[in-house]
Amino acid sequence: MVVLHTEELNAGNAKWFKTQITPVLEKHSCVILDLNEVRFVDSSGCGIILSCFRQLHSNNGDLKMTGVQKPVQTLFELVRLHRIIEIFPDKASAIQSFSR
Amino acid sequence: MNEEHKMTILVADDDPTIRAVLKKTFEKAGFNVISAENGRQALDQMQHDISAVLLDLQMPIMSGLECLRLIREQFDDISPIMLTASDDISNAVEAMKNGAFDYITKPFNSHQLIALVEKAIATDKNTRRIKRLEAELERAREQEIETASRIQQTLLMGKPPAHLSGIEIATRTVPSQKVDGDFYDFFQFGENYLDVVIGDVMGKGIASALMGAAIKSHFLRVIHELGRSAVQRDIPPDLVAIVSRVQTNMISQMEDLETFVTLCYGRFDLGHNIFRFVDCGHMRTIHYSAASDTLSLLEGMNMPLGFPEIKPYTEFSVPFSTGDSFFFYSDGLTEAMNPNGDQYGEDRLVSSIRSNICHTPESLITRVWIDIVNFTQSESFRDDFTTVAIKIGGPSGTCMMSESEFEIQCDIHQTSLVRRFLRDFCASGGQVISQDRLDLLILAATEVVTNIIRHAYRNRPGGKIRITARTTPDALEISFYDRGEIFDPKAVPSPKFDGSQEGGFGIYIISNAVDEYTYGQDQHGNNCTRLLVSLK
Repeated sequence: MVVLHTEELNAGNAKWFKTQITPVLEKHSCVILDLNEVRFVDSSGCGIILSCFRQLHSNNGDLKMTGVQKPVQTLFELVRLHRIIEIFPDKASAIQSFSR
Repeated sequence: MNEEHKMTILVADDDPTIRAVLKKTFEKAGFNVISAENGRQALDQMQHDISAVLLDLQMPIMSGLECLRLIREQFDDISPIMLTASDDISNAVEAMKNGAFDYITKPFNSHQLIALVEKAIATDKNTRRIKRLEAELERAREQEIETASRIQQTLLMGKPPAHLSGIEIATRTVPSQKVDGDFYDFFQFGENYLDVVIGDVMGKGIASALMGAAIKSHFLRVIHELGRSAVQRDIPPDLVAIVSRVQTNMISQMEDLETFVTLCYGRFDLGHNIFRFVDCGHMRTIHYSAASDTLSLLEGMNMPLGFPEIKPYTEFSVPFSTGDSFFFYSDGLTEAMNPNGDQYGEDRLVSSIRSNICHTPESLITRVWIDIVNFTQSESFRDDFTTVAIKIGGPSGTCMMSESEFEIQCDIHQTSLVRRFLRDFCASGGQVISQDRLDLLILAATEVVTNIIRHAYRNRPGGKIRITARTTPDALEISFYDRGEIFDPKAVPSPKFDGSQEGGFGIYIISNAVDEYTYGQDQHGNNCTRLLVSLK
């Protein structure tokens, strides 16, 4: 479970996010991204999330998301990210989905 | 002849015999004579009040040709006569080309020489007179322009009524260097009627200015006459009757001066919300209808005043409502030219009015003026700039409008400033769009700015991005200006949504997040990206 302690995930901090999450992706195959605090994501943010998803997938793992706020949800729908990465209303249901 | 009033002749020849002969000949004929041995000496003697110069072509130190050139340079109102040996005709001809009055071959006949000198003096005197007259004429012309300009400012432009509820009026005249006969005036009848007349006399200068003033005062007189004979005093005279009477009274004067006048005489009926007008070949009045949010051009079918009109004048009418605007103008606006010789034209005027229609009439005129100045790249026009802008509903109309501007550096971390700027802008203007649409707009704006920084400026520091935000009654419009590399948004391929692609969503996001997305270059060479969110 990774909690993003940032209000924004955009072109400005996408690289920083990548360096932070890389060790997590190397250690774990199933990761939940908690976006509760994130108010804004742009296409670069989307790209970095997709990149994480692809890395985990290639290792037979998965990435799921929770705490997706309205503006972020809007973007995910626009680029159809919600069809690729599962989004859960809360942490519990996200965790449960992995144990299925 | 009094010694003081004798004319002086300068004689330059290296042969002392010839100098002596010439001195004797001319003194006998009543002239003072100054002699010189060469061109250099002759030039030095030019400090005296010399009426004519005789120059030998072949002289030591400075030749006659060189001396001639220098005299013509410094004393362009004196044309020397060349003295030449019979075998030196080609040089004499060369001297003629360089401003010599004539040449005479040695040996010469003294009577012939005296006659030639007297002719040269007379011709030079005429040349001086013509120059003086030309200077006087130029001064007179300048004075005429100044007078015409004063006439224009004081007699040609009427004052709009200061207090008329439900209507807001602004006017502007910027005289050109040549003063046209543009004029306008306003006539108010009670609280319900406002008449506006705007016209343009063909031609320039005092004659046009005076004709404009005469026509304008004639309107006042005719309105007074027709008003007196009206049965009902509170109903203003018929429009067609007013224009016809002015035409009848003025046609012979206009014919005498071979001029004509284009004009539009309009009446705002504030009780019935109808604008009636008689247009006589004037520029098409621009009417903005707030209800349909469209601009239309009001055109009549009458000939200009001064043309023998056989058919009676035709009146047209359009309804108006609160928020509508009317823009009257002279051809000085549409015929303003840029350095390439292109005219500003009606289309540009219409689109400038379209994008500034929400401002007050005063500010609308200013913005149109700035747009034309930007187009022509000059603040002085060939023709007068004359405009009247009228807005129905007054300043507290329904047309609320706000505008804001902001600039960021080429730094990816500054995109958050853009988001804050847009949130603040939308909050300050009253929530004009829903939170969802604002989120999408902010997303699109972020993508635009990120693209500019990454692709147009290639992350190079020093680049700037100017952002303007404004609301009109029908849209929220955000524009981004940059001076980076030009790119073609249409060349960007559509992204795949199967998770295989991590980038390349920017343009797709922008196009889908707002109602309109355009990219192009403005007249200053800036790249301009525009996002539009419809408010309808």
